[in-house]
Amino acid sequence: MKVQPSAFILEKRPLLLQLRDALCAQFAYASVLAEDTVGRSYRVSRHSVSVGEGDNVRGFVVKVLDGGRYAEYSFNQLEAGSIPGVVDAVRALLAADVRPAGLGASAYAPPEEEPTVFSGATEYEIDPESVEDGDVLARLTALRDKGLAMDEAVLDFVAWTDWQRYTKLFLSRAKDMTQSVMYLTGGVTAAAMQDQQVKQAYLPCSGLGGMELLARMEDNVAPCVQTVLDLTHSESMIPGEYECICDPETTGMIVHEAFGHGVEMDMFVKDRAQAPQFLGKYVASPLVTMHDGACSAQQTATYFFDDEGVLAHDTVVIDKGVLKTGISDLQSALTLGTEPTGNGRRESYARKAYTRMTNTWFEPGTDKLEDMIASVKYGMYLECPSSGMEDPKNWGIQCMVNIAREIKDGKLTGRIFSPVVLTGYVPDLLKSITAMSEAVELSGTGFCGKGHKEWVKVSDGGPCIKATIRLG
Amino acid sequence: MEKILSALGALGVEQYIVTEKHTDSLECFYVKKNLDLTRRADTAVTTVRVFRPFEQDRQRMLGDSEATVRPGMSEAEVRRAVERAWYAAGSVANPWYPLPAGIKEPPRPDGGGFAGKSLDESMKQMTQALFAADRAGDVFLNSAEVFMRRTRTHIVTSAGADVAWEKADVWGEYVCQCPAPVDVETYHQFNYRDPDTASLTADAAHALEMTKARARASAAPVTGTYALVLDREQMRVLLGYYVDRAGAGMIYQKYSPFRLGENVQGEAISGDKLTVSLAATEPYTDFGAPMADRPLLEAGVLRTIHGGPRFAHYLGVEPTGQYRAIRVDAGAAPLETLTAQPCLHAVSFSDFQMDPLSGHFGGELRLGFLHENGQVIPVTGGSVNGSILDCQGNMTFSAERYRSASYDGPLAVRLEGVSVAGR
Repeated sequence: MKVQPSAFILEKRPLLLQLRDALCAQFAYASVLAEDTVGRSYRVSRHSVSVGEGDNVRGFVVKVLDGGRYAEYSFNQLEAGSIPGVVDAVRALLAADVRPAGLGASAYAPPEEEPTVFSGATEYEIDPESVEDGDVLARLTALRDKGLAMDEAVLDFVAWTDWQRYTKLFLSRAKDMTQSVMYLTGGVTAAAMQDQQVKQAYLPCSGLGGMELLARMEDNVAPCVQTVLDLTHSESMIPGEYECICDPETTGMIVHEAFGHGVEMDMFVKDRAQAPQFLGKYVASPLVTMHDGACSAQQTATYFFDDEGVLAHDTVVIDKGVLKTGISDLQSALTLGTEPTGNGRRESYARKAYTRMTNTWFEPGTDKLEDMIASVKYGMYLECPSSGMEDPKNWGIQCMVNIAREIKDGKLTGRIFSPVVLTGYVPDLLKSITAMSEAVELSGTGFCGKGHKEWVKVSDGGPCIKATIRLG
Repeated sequence: MEKILSALGALGVEQYIVTEKHTDSLECFYVKKNLDLTRRADTAVTTVRVFRPFEQDRQRMLGDSEATVRPGMSEAEVRRAVERAWYAAGSVANPWYPLPAGIKEPPRPDGGGFAGKSLDESMKQMTQALFAADRAGDVFLNSAEVFMRRTRTHIVTSAGADVAWEKADVWGEYVCQCPAPVDVETYHQFNYRDPDTASLTADAAHALEMTKARARASAAPVTGTYALVLDREQMRVLLGYYVDRAGAGMIYQKYSPFRLGENVQGEAISGDKLTVSLAATEPYTDFGAPMADRPLLEAGVLRTIHGGPRFAHYLGVEPTGQYRAIRVDAGAAPLETLTAQPCLHAVSFSDFQMDPLSGHFGGELRLGFLHENGQVIPVTGGSVNGSILDCQGNMTFSAERYRSASYDGPLAVRLEGVSVAGR
């Protein structure tokens, strides 16, 4: 079934069209974005149960261009009489005396827009709103009880799920676009003690759709408990450079953190990225082809158009090792003279749009995982990434990984190191890739920040890769 | 508020917390020295948390859930939202706990230094202070985002609270760039409750100076074990371990072994003993009780378990609300003493992290100064991976202090025996 558009957005649409017309009559360019997001979050652990609303947001943002300058106004109350007030607020913002002497202002030409009328929706099988809260909690409680019962060393076992459904309406002089999207994320986390340290293992689950996706979590309970029990025997990492096999989640973190942020083209505008110097050059092994795009995969960052009314793309960023292009929001594309790629995203209507990743992943290779492990003389199998940080200017990598499993003479020895900091120079790491497995997996439970804020839903992944990586 | 209280009454909800929050934010985005975008956000959101007592397996329970009420919602919409939360709370089987009493007071005006000034005026003043540091030419501000924010909060609870207050602050981020000899950048954040223009200019000047140093750093340190000196914002991250582990939720769920009156810094302490206070950054808790500063650690001994009403009740301690800032006693040693013996002074990381569950801290090194053989050598790259459990017995804090919105304490600390992966 198709996700139905928000009744609130449909009700406000006539007013929003009036607002668009009022703004377009006064400014060289004007757009209106309306957002209505609803969802629920559920969490069950040994000692706690919770049901919440998640990040429910409902509001509007208008963007105008006047005298070459852009201004935006975000608000969440719109009634029949409030249109003149919104127009006045934007005009006051453009006239505000906020810039100290000695600082200038950027100058933009209006964007050229193709007339576009669009309406789209993703699909689902079981409507989350048709399922009682108590029934969801009962399913999560069963997973928790199963996890806790598996071994008395398990300190805690957490099962959680969130679903979110949003409708966005984008209006400008040339565009009238509506989309409705729903996704579900979830996961299980097991905790156990190692001396004074709490060790945790985590297995995620995510996808477009509704409550039908919850069933996928059941198979994750036993492996999650086994992993945390393994972690209670872990050792501190011995710093050094290793031959590594990365699981699809770790590959995803490398794709996203190490490379993806470096090709966000608002970073090109600011001279904050090395990537422009490498366009058309090898930045990775010829085995590597990398995609980003809201329509490049069916995952939690899938949408039909971005928050600036640009249709979703499937951008091939790296083609057989050669850097082809970056990804871009509309304002950056105007500055650079390039085409926007449908990557202009806001945390919500209340925040600015930046160039942001969506579904970001490596294409599969032709190798078998068992052959890849067998080819390692001495190295590590990396899994359970926890976080990463970008460094587009200098292409440094920081990824935190929870588990490194020792490989000796082509076999996993059972020895485990944790936690592990993965560092290096991005092109060195990507050029060192010598094998890629056949299956691609994407995970979409995480959020991505720009610096330390502006959180948006993303997915990333790829196949298992074999590379040389510095671990500490 | 009237619509919400009416809906609560109609449903027979006897225990609730209603929080209204209105935010007015003025935002300026600079690329180099050009204003690229000006934004304003004017938003209002009300959350209603309902608490529902019930029995399960002869045990007294209290479930809770919340609903968001937005401007323009009709009375029927408000009632539906609250009703949904009320039914959800009936499925949330947590053991019973009391909702703490709140107080009723007249609204508190903003007591900070931005009070009485327009957001426009304050924006111009703070932007000027930030760019005042950008004078050298060979190193400069690549980009900056400045947010002036004024919030009004109003809390009403079934336990007698009716409090409201206003608060303004400035926050944001900036990136410093030094193009030669190697083109590098560093990333920085700021947050001030007062128009502390001198601190913002001084912090930005320090950041620019460190960026110049990063441009001269050409190699990672050699892999090995180092004495590590951390400073500034890394201090709050490092010492956040003690704040997190002293949380009622962490302790009740056995994620933390901390106990009141116990020496949580460890028994064998050859270095400085930690004295830390929790500093209130809001006048009231999220359940409408007055919020006060509290001692967290005194010479390494835990004095306060902090947190909300549920886990506090389970542990038999007073609910305190959520703390976002700490004050720490400084040490006796000048910074130059901390770096007088061989060490790696880590100035900047990609993202310095502390895992309060395991006690591990670390990150990728963007800039450090290697002090050895009488030389100070800038280094970049590689990573630090340490454990507070291994280091806490031998920490030396600087006498100099550093202050930000969430931290007021020693500028730096020296830790012994930390693993570094480098060349």
